[in-house]
Amino acid sequence: MSQDDDKWGIAHVHASFNNTIMTVTDVTGAETIAKSSGGTAVKQNRDEASPYAAMQMAESIAEEVKAAGITGLHVHVRGPGGNLQKSPGPGAQATIRALARSGIEIGRIEDVTPVPHDGSRAPKGKGGY
Amino acid sequence: MRVAVTGTPGTGKTTASDLLEQRFAESESDFDVVHLNRVLEDEDLYTEVDADRESKIADLEALAEWLEGRDDVVVESHLAHHFDADRVAVLRCAPATLEERLLERGETAAKAQENAESEALDVILAEAVEEHGLESVYEIDTTDRSPEAVADALEAVVAGEREPSAGEVEFVGYLG
Ligand SMILES: Nc1ncnc2c1ncn2[C@@H]1O[C@H](COP(=O)(O)OP(=O)(O)O)[C@@H](O)[C@H]1O
Ligand SMILES: [Mg+2]
Repeated sequence: MSQDDDKWGIAHVHASFNNTIMTVTDVTGAETIAKSSGGTAVKQNRDEASPYAAMQMAESIAEEVKAAGITGLHVHVRGPGGNLQKSPGPGAQATIRALARSGIEIGRIEDVTPVPHDGSRAPKGKGGY
Repeated sequence: MRVAVTGTPGTGKTTASDLLEQRFAESESDFDVVHLNRVLEDEDLYTEVDADRESKIADLEALAEWLEGRDDVVVESHLAHHFDADRVAVLRCAPATLEERLLERGETAAKAQENAESEALDVILAEAVEEHGLESVYEIDTTDRSPEAVADALEAVVAGEREPSAGEVEFVGYLG
């Protein structure tokens, strides 16, 4: 592989209260390169299990991503990310660390958590992430 | 005793709370229902407008002040968990069903979708647990429950006849 073969993708991390899932796409978001089945936490020990499960998921996805010739990932995090933590929580953070450890370059990290809203919404930082 | 009834828009807070309000009136209960979104509108308790979302950004301090001293109330709003409460009921709804409910209520597709995604990611549940602790949160799945049954569950929370719960539904599948 030549040096100008550096290829970037986007890791979409969805971190809910007790689950973290990840999809890796090309930079346009159109083509899915790898998809996790989810790092489901063990309910009885949720706060330990969540980052651990997310980390394992990220490690297995990293192998697929590298096999597809991707060398760097921008990260889009959505969700409160596991227990009792503000976004990006332990699930998301563990995921990003595991990707970096597996030798993938990490680019921009963006928080794109959706905002619950009707005629009103909470201000940013207070609920409204 | 103050009970917050929160949940993503479309989970049925206003519908169930209206029923609860009728029951309180019929039984001459000491409890009142506060529809906090109406207070925000009527008293102009917002700081600015999020133009993209056509949504007023709540003035949480002003709302907290308005709520101060009001006891024996059920406070209903997707903002309700941002204020002091003894118990916090979090209404939940499967995201695809929530999206349908919101479209039926006449919301835009963008609004319905962002709320469905928020619900899939447990955004409000996580905030409620973070602000009030697992011991004060009562998750109620409304997906296949009638408004009457949701009102029953809320009545049980108010009466102290329900155990706290959180994270029992799993909605991330909606995200594909
Ligand atoms: N338990 C329920 N089952 C089915 N539909 C419901 C239920 N509760 C409310 N709805 C419908 O869903 C929509 C949203 O309900 P609403 O009470 O306005 O939600 P919220 O106040 O949480 O935003 C309304 O159109 C309402 O008629
Ligand atoms: Mg409402």
